[in-house]
Amino acid sequence: MNEEASLELISQMIRNTRRKLEDGNGISFLVWGYTTFVISLAVYFSIKATGDYHYNFLWFLTPVLGSIGMSIFKRNKTKHGGHAMNFIDRTIRNIWMVIGIAAFLTSVGASFVRFPILSVMLLLLGIGTALTGLTIKFKLVVISGFIGMLSCVVPFFINGYEQILVFGVICLIMMVIPGHILNYQGRRKNV
Amino acid sequence: MFKELNPLLHSELRLGIMSILISVEEADFVYIREKTGATAGNISVQIDKLSEAGYIEVSKGFLGKRTRTVCKITEKGVNAFEEYVEALKSYLDIKGL
Repeated sequence: MNEEASLELISQMIRNTRRKLEDGNGISFLVWGYTTFVISLAVYFSIKATGDYHYNFLWFLTPVLGSIGMSIFKRNKTKHGGHAMNFIDRTIRNIWMVIGIAAFLTSVGASFVRFPILSVMLLLLGIGTALTGLTIKFKLVVISGFIGMLSCVVPFFINGYEQILVFGVICLIMMVIPGHILNYQGRRKNV
Repeated sequence: MFKELNPLLHSELRLGIMSILISVEEADFVYIREKTGATAGNISVQIDKLSEAGYIEVSKGFLGKRTRTVCKITEKGVNAFEEYVEALKSYLDIKGL
């Protein structure tokens, strides 16, 4: 192996690694976005049909279903392409770990004390989305995050359980749309 | 003047593995195999050599029922890689590339 070939090998490996890590960036947004949307529909229609507010406990299925979805995705990805983690991956993982714990603790608190939980959730999800967007340097995700944060005032203007439906739609806009766009861009770069 | 190229890194597969590990915090065996396109046996031998030299850390664990080998570059490995690249530059400078 000569010197030029060594240098070319180094740059090719680093380039390939970067591409590989960009692939599938949007999956976590899709998994959590769709999960939150489906659960919000389930909560809304259950309460509307029965009038029983205990169906609010269905919210606690969100971390369970989201985690199952993420582990299925990660297992498939690792099985076929192996696993690698860089600084950006670790930062994003830590951001969402903190947001997830904060969301869970807030939800537990909301079981005992009444406060505008949906607004707090939108604020937390918006902060997580904006921080992720800034970390991966993707403007659309940053904008979605700030829209999410701003939309935390929306539930105050809506009366009754329709708040839940609006919350689900905002999550869909804030997370699912950027998720699909991120995946599309990742696929295009790998072609 | 030419700087000596580290013979441990001046091998296609070992250099490939080090180049992958320099750009990530950790990578598992499957990932390295997919990126280098080398055989599992060959990668295993080269990983052992890099590990014995203290250039990488290897940890073994489980992912479900399957064993999983995860590699990380060490500080010594980073220094060796940087010295290797510096040495390469000295060759290329003299050749006028």
